[in-house]
Amino acid sequence: MEPLLKALGPRLDALLGPDRVITDPVRLRTYECDGLTNHRSTPGIVVLPDTAEEIAAIVRACADAGVPYVARGSGTGLSGGALPRADGVLIVTSRMRRILEIDVPGQRAVVEPGVINLDVTRAVRPYGYYFAPDPSSQQICSVGGNVAENSGGAHCLKYGFTAHHVLACEVVTPDGELVELAADGPGYDLLGVFVGAEGTLGITTKITVRLTRVPETVQTLLAAFDSIEAGGTAVSAIIGAGMVPAAIEMMDALSIEAAEAAVRCEYPPGAGAVLIVELDGPDAEVAAQFAEVERLCRDAGAFEIRIAADDAERALIWTGRKSAFAAVGRISPAYIVQDGVIPRTALPKVLARIDALSAESGVRVANVFHAGDGNLHPLVLFDDAEPGAAERAEEVSGAILDLCIEHGGSITGEHGVGVDKSRYMPRMFTDTDLDTMQMVRCGFDPAGLCNPGKVFPTPRLCGEVPGVRKGPHPYEGKADIF
Amino acid sequence: MRPLEALAKVCDDVRAGEPEEGVLGVQPALVAAPSSVAEAAEVMRVAAEQGLSVVPRGAETRLDWGTPPRGCDLLVDTHRLDRLVEHASGDLVATAEAGLPLETLAGLLAEKGQRLSLDVPLPGSTVGGTIASGAAGPLRTLFGTPRNLVIGLTVVRADGKIARSGGKVVKNVAGYDLGRLFSGSYGTLGLIVEATFRLHPVPAAAAWVTRRVSGPEEAHEAVQAVLHSPTAPSALEYIGPGTVAALLEGVPDGVAARAGQLVKLLGGDARVTEEAPDGWGLYPDGTTLIDVTAPPPSLRELIGLVDGLQHDVAMTWSGSGHGQIGLPSGMAAEEVAATLGALRDVLGRHKGGAVVRYAPQDVRSEIDPWGPVPALSLMRRVKDQFDPDHRLSPGRFVGGI
Amino acid sequence: MSAQDDLPKLLGDCVHCGFCLPTCPTYVLWGEEMDSPRGRIHLMQQHAEGAPLNAPMVQHFDQCLGCMACVTACPSGVQYDRLIETTRAEVEREHPRSLKERAIREAIFRLFPYRRRLRALRGPLRAYQKSGLDRLVRRSGVLERISPSVAAMERLAPPLGKAPRLPEFVAARGKRRATVGMLTGCVQGEFFPGVNAATARVLALEGCDVVIPGNQGCCGALSLHSGREDEARAFARRTVETFESADVIVVNSAGCGSAMKEYRALLADDPAWAARAEALSAKTRDLAEFLVELGPRAERRPLPVTLAYHDACHLSHAQGVRAQPRALLGGIPELTVMEIAEPDLCCGSAGTYNLLQPEAASALGDRKAVNVDATGAELLVAANPGCSMQIATALQRRGAHIAVAHTAQVLDASLRGLGRDALVGRTS
Repeated sequence: MEPLLKALGPRLDALLGPDRVITDPVRLRTYECDGLTNHRSTPGIVVLPDTAEEIAAIVRACADAGVPYVARGSGTGLSGGALPRADGVLIVTSRMRRILEIDVPGQRAVVEPGVINLDVTRAVRPYGYYFAPDPSSQQICSVGGNVAENSGGAHCLKYGFTAHHVLACEVVTPDGELVELAADGPGYDLLGVFVGAEGTLGITTKITVRLTRVPETVQTLLAAFDSIEAGGTAVSAIIGAGMVPAAIEMMDALSIEAAEAAVRCEYPPGAGAVLIVELDGPDAEVAAQFAEVERLCRDAGAFEIRIAADDAERALIWTGRKSAFAAVGRISPAYIVQDGVIPRTALPKVLARIDALSAESGVRVANVFHAGDGNLHPLVLFDDAEPGAAERAEEVSGAILDLCIEHGGSITGEHGVGVDKSRYMPRMFTDTDLDTMQMVRCGFDPAGLCNPGKVFPTPRLCGEVPGVRKGPHPYEGKADIF
Repeated sequence: MRPLEALAKVCDDVRAGEPEEGVLGVQPALVAAPSSVAEAAEVMRVAAEQGLSVVPRGAETRLDWGTPPRGCDLLVDTHRLDRLVEHASGDLVATAEAGLPLETLAGLLAEKGQRLSLDVPLPGSTVGGTIASGAAGPLRTLFGTPRNLVIGLTVVRADGKIARSGGKVVKNVAGYDLGRLFSGSYGTLGLIVEATFRLHPVPAAAAWVTRRVSGPEEAHEAVQAVLHSPTAPSALEYIGPGTVAALLEGVPDGVAARAGQLVKLLGGDARVTEEAPDGWGLYPDGTTLIDVTAPPPSLRELIGLVDGLQHDVAMTWSGSGHGQIGLPSGMAAEEVAATLGALRDVLGRHKGGAVVRYAPQDVRSEIDPWGPVPALSLMRRVKDQFDPDHRLSPGRFVGGI
Repeated sequence: MSAQDDLPKLLGDCVHCGFCLPTCPTYVLWGEEMDSPRGRIHLMQQHAEGAPLNAPMVQHFDQCLGCMACVTACPSGVQYDRLIETTRAEVEREHPRSLKERAIREAIFRLFPYRRRLRALRGPLRAYQKSGLDRLVRRSGVLERISPSVAAMERLAPPLGKAPRLPEFVAARGKRRATVGMLTGCVQGEFFPGVNAATARVLALEGCDVVIPGNQGCCGALSLHSGREDEARAFARRTVETFESADVIVVNSAGCGSAMKEYRALLADDPAWAARAEALSAKTRDLAEFLVELGPRAERRPLPVTLAYHDACHLSHAQGVRAQPRALLGGIPELTVMEIAEPDLCCGSAGTYNLLQPEAASALGDRKAVNVDATGAELLVAANPGCSMQIATALQRRGAHIAVAHTAQVLDASLRGLGRDALVGRTS
């Protein structure tokens, strides 16, 4: 173990007791990656705090020792945002999972960062409310992780992202201070930039979330098309008609095959694409719009339309979509989940280009996407036992991001930049853009100890840092990638 | 080279400031009105070289907000940056320059049946000023404030460099969201020059349901009834004294049905109108305007406090938990200060607060316009990074930032 | 092919998505990666890559309840059940355990699979003094661990009256629809004789001839789920022989049923037995599964009882039997079935787990008891004896007054028109 870490160990032991400080190498290795497994780095120490004060004390200890640290919730991130550092401390919030307050008249709840996204909804559902952000991993991802990543989900087309549903966060700053950041307080909207900063500005210890009224009606339709193009036409028609569905999701034949193998979702056989359209809201609104959606799907060439009659049927329709990523494991030994965004109107063009890329390279690509907002999730399949296959897949995956940038889109719609995409940031932003973003970073974390090496390809030097720095600069260490 | 000459080299609209152009009484030495983003960047670069303090100005609708600048060597006027750069209607996205008035923007977007879901409480206000002040109206209940609708932002930094964040797609988590950071930053971090917004379709139908309420309890009950109903209003307002109103938007049949539901739910004299009720979407009258963060459970006490004041005090409040209170000119500075203190006491218990937007000079000297600012030291450090020389709207913001 | 051979492939199926985490009882308790299925698979991977099987690893494998909730939750189809069984067998073969641990394990496996030894435990006062138990069992501390559960069971068992001794044959009432073999189980047979009697009556009332071989022994479930493969195989062979002539074998204990359905994998490498084991697995049915396949014929009489149905892990996760018991219970007039919050979460019984990991088990039991209590039900129904004992003990600790019964007993009470008092007593 590095000498700096070694010195830190006893202080952490004293803070938490040895049971919540993990130093055994075998145990440490189980934390070597989050949901993205191609970046791995065994943390130097893992700590399992139970309270905000403990996190603040841990951060102070790290700051004093000049040791970098990374926060992790459930470890389901898909960009390596919670990739630990061999020379650092991994602060795991999975034990901090109390729902502290449910304020129905105020339409808000206060939760600890380790609370599982879906558990918020489960807790407030009896009052007729839910927590709107619904990433596919909502049954396990933590609210703290949602805050770090500004998570979206299938329904963010209508309801927006985590940033729109977080009213305040208690945060441990890289100074080890506990401060409250609020969306509507006096001064800068630091909360606005903290949410989605991928854990590089501090660690949230308490989150006030906005609760959303459960809609009176939810109507879900599954439409099967011969081709992605036909499905895309339907999407354009729906948006063009001035509707804002809760969700519009599309899957292509390959991803349907995978989902079918995994969860037997029983999508119409022979479909080249399925479209899931969900409308929600007041009865009368939904009824009028739903008929229109159905008509538009038929006009676009849907050969089969299924309408969920009840919650069970709706769940079945969504099961296929929600398990699609992991389900691809059934049809391919390995795969890369890509996450890129394009203006929705560029969908047909970009999908055709992805097809061509796939054909040229011989690398299979399954497409799952949030069609309503142009958020693509191409799943690039490969066999990791085959020499060179991973590199070819990586190449195709990168080329897809280039396509997104070329069409005025983004390199990530919801998975975040993390370690995985920091190298693509200069393709989307100029040096000045990145430098400007990092001014915020320097304001929060001049020593660069808080989740260093994420988001930005090269760190901005923050100028004179007060206090004496010990040991190597935290950016010097690099994660092993294999 | 003197500042005027240096600026004139990069911008063709530079002149000396006039006394009536004062920012809360501080007269600008110079006024520059760049006509493009590149020109704006040049102006800012020259200002940096010359060490000029800079205050941005849009349509002056909120220039009297906040505290007076410590200095104003240069007023950067954005009125010539008034282009709608792009309206990608198929993607429900538009990019506009900072000086474009929101009403003009609305007219252009409406041609394609779309809108930016932000109210314009002060006519004439610009894209840039609205973002810099974080201003919004009743629609904030459903659509939020500029922070929720800006998806891409271009700013000119204190050193004159152009920086972009976000992009042209609604769903995007690449990099820090400076759009949210700049929303409500009062021109203290940089000059906003261009913004990309997410848009919404103009609803086919709209109706208001209005009910008279008497006293805090009835208002609270009416508001709670609507909030917890499934009618999904776009806006829910309390307009003091005594009116609760909800805006419903959607398809004609849907709006009619929901309005009927709300009338039944609210009872009393609740009625449906096609026109907004009086005072809808306007700031309350008065010479002192106080913005309050007041979550729904605090409404009862808030109204109780306002109604209990010696003067006729106007207020509005939105279902998202944010309101405005207008104090009349007749209120003495000490009375304003006492009222502000009382508001902060009450709202503080609900994790809310009160910020004075504008006030007469004699009042300003008696009060702390911002109230307690958590994380102020963090804010100072962010400011120091963006504007190390403290030249941008110096002193206009919290804690003298 | 045995799991050992295709271990790399089985491990490779895991994509590290974490969907298993919230379903894992130990992760729910401790929030530690090493005590989640994803973490344990990671540990197995480390071992497969050459890391020695050391004490920390074994600790986390031992702490797995084997509830298989993760198997249900996994979208990638990871066969964690096979992974953990293979790993456990390896742990038993390779990892030296402490003297105390060995004593407890030996005691458990000398006690539970043997009905005569179990019989010595019945009755709360007899537990400590019975000479029928061997010295190891008495000295290991296992009795101290099990006696509170036994005592709780004795208090909470439904007042159905004395359980009759089961004959080897019970004839169908009315026209015969099927002939079934019935497994009586070790723990079920000794601690819940009423459940077996009810099972036989219900089957007979639904038109089945019930064959109950008197020489049947332990099915091997406990051994199989604890990595004692050779012992499990021996039990399995004997059970295959005993029931070979039956068309269908009905099992009312979830753990036993799931083990018998696994015989095909357990004996797959044994040429002499593979086909016979396969056949037996194919004929094994849980009671509820069988009754739903058969369809109801006997008249259901009203039972105005509100009950909470608990999914035994080895029924819901291992056998996928969730709808059938609910359908059967729901078919009884005037009976209300309440769902228990966190239905997928194990109660902590998990075979021998509550004896080997008593602290974790009791934390899980308490959690389950809180959820059961919150339903407001007056009767808890479960289809596994271990679950019943575990939850009954936890309810007892909370001072909750709720009776415990098996699905078979509820059906029996309805079919025989015994009324609610037969199930919930006169206390409510």
